[in-house]
Amino acid sequence: MRPLAAAIETKQLTKTYKSRIHGKINVVDSLDLHVEEGEIFGFLGPNGAGKTTTIKMLLSIIYPDAGEGYVLGKEIGDMSVHRLISYVPERPYYYEHMTGLELLKFYASLFGINDQALFVRLLEKVNLHRDMSKTISQYSKGMQQRVGLAQALLNDPKLMFLDEPTGGLDPIAHREIRDLILSFREEGRTVFISSHELSEVELICDRVAIINKGVIARQGKLTDLLRGGRVEVTFEGVTEQWLKDKGMRDSHVRTIAGGVLLDTTEEEDINALIDAARSNAGRIVSIVPRRKRLEDLFIQTVTDAPAAAAKKTITVEESTSV
Amino acid sequence: MFRPIASIAATTVGEAIRRKVLLIILLIGVLFLVVAPGLGMLSARSETTVLRGMMLGIIQLTSAVIAIVLTVYMIPNEIERRTIYTILSKPVQRWQFLVGKYFGAVSALLMMMTLMTSVLVFTFWLQQRDASAIPDLIKAPVMYFVQMSLLAAVAIFFSTFVSPLVNFFLSGGLYLLGSLFAPFFQTLQESQGTPPAAKVFAQLINTILPNFANYNIQNPIINPGQQIQNEGSYYLQVTVYGVLYIAGLLVAGTIVFDRREV
Repeated sequence: MRPLAAAIETKQLTKTYKSRIHGKINVVDSLDLHVEEGEIFGFLGPNGAGKTTTIKMLLSIIYPDAGEGYVLGKEIGDMSVHRLISYVPERPYYYEHMTGLELLKFYASLFGINDQALFVRLLEKVNLHRDMSKTISQYSKGMQQRVGLAQALLNDPKLMFLDEPTGGLDPIAHREIRDLILSFREEGRTVFISSHELSEVELICDRVAIINKGVIARQGKLTDLLRGGRVEVTFEGVTEQWLKDKGMRDSHVRTIAGGVLLDTTEEEDINALIDAARSNAGRIVSIVPRRKRLEDLFIQTVTDAPAAAAKKTITVEESTSV
Repeated sequence: MFRPIASIAATTVGEAIRRKVLLIILLIGVLFLVVAPGLGMLSARSETTVLRGMMLGIIQLTSAVIAIVLTVYMIPNEIERRTIYTILSKPVQRWQFLVGKYFGAVSALLMMMTLMTSVLVFTFWLQQRDASAIPDLIKAPVMYFVQMSLLAAVAIFFSTFVSPLVNFFLSGGLYLLGSLFAPFFQTLQESQGTPPAAKVFAQLINTILPNFANYNIQNPIINPGQQIQNEGSYYLQVTVYGVLYIAGLLVAGTIVFDRREV
């Protein structure tokens, strides 16, 4: 056991599978992951990137081939940590003959818990108390996901693993699940979410990691990762050629109705340009910052970085300030 | 330690008794037991002998099919539906999961065999109006239950590393081998004229192969002229053999399952 520094920490965690066609495949390759206590951490990646494999290793359902990993300060494989964590798998299936209440009783019995009041309270929390006597086969997808979250709360976990918690749900169910996840953070729990739903992740996660072909391509605070979007400045009284002559890198200039539009990523140099325009009898009509979206970052990370380049982990340090 | 096993076993029973394929097999078995007296009358041999043999055969065959169908899908289904992940993410060890599934299967089997035995007793009594033969008649299904528990353990063991289809043929094949050929290998081993190499081979097979034939005690029940010597001691001996073999299979299954990536 090591000092409790992080909810999850992995060092060079590797999982290899043998394929008859492709030989040895590193499904997860030298994974260095760091999840702080009390945060909602988004674990993103395309299909087959190694997200579920990583979760399974952290839950000791499968075994790593190399590297080390710690969950709540305990080495993975230490069963005592299973009393403090919970897991909701992707597209979960629960025993359909059971009612919602019976399902909670069953999972609670695995912890040695038998507390009827707790079951009812948890079903109320996920808004299923009116349907607790219905069988799981009568539950909609959203209800099954919610009963899954209720079972994941039975042991009052410190750390929750949610694999695609909003996958295949309608917008109302999306919102219900999102609100529940946010409430988990308010209760002081750490939530580790593996997801494709980038808009959801952007709304609720504090930090994210993007995994591609088994390698962490980016990891850091969402605010840091999404910093440095584009800025659109509309000028009056200066010509398109004058702006082009200023030679700002990564910028586009075009004449629009009511002025000239400069679209650039160079936030640092924009003030000098504005001053120059003003001293040249120019006027600033508008400055519109266009924030980078997680989707753009994700697509850029996954498509731009080939596997070899992706091996170099790009980590945005927590200390970087905006 | 035992609470998770009991919970997993109870859930397994709940699932098993709702599986349509098992209920259909059970229904067919019960149906044959009900019509057996009618078929017995068609035979030229003694009606009681044929009736006893037929009814016990129906119970044994139906139970064997149920035991195999029930257990070959048990672990693969849990993996395919991902229910195993939620369970193993709780403080449940793999051996507890495996043993819980096994006891659940055996409990479901016990319920189904009890139902068939009840139908057997009732039908026999209706036909023969002879209650004195019933205690003897019940001995066979009791021994069949031990036999089926052993068969379920074989199937659970194989299900930790082979597909359900392969398991079906493996377990079924082993059941036939253990029922039909175990006495042959035993005779070969004990016979004076057997060459030493063949004796060693027969002994090896006898040790590895589960001896399902131990529990085929229908002959003395069907033919009252035949008797098992030291009957009580024999039943105890083969039951202990079954329990030890089952324990060995569960330990071996746990070792395989513990290393398996699910």
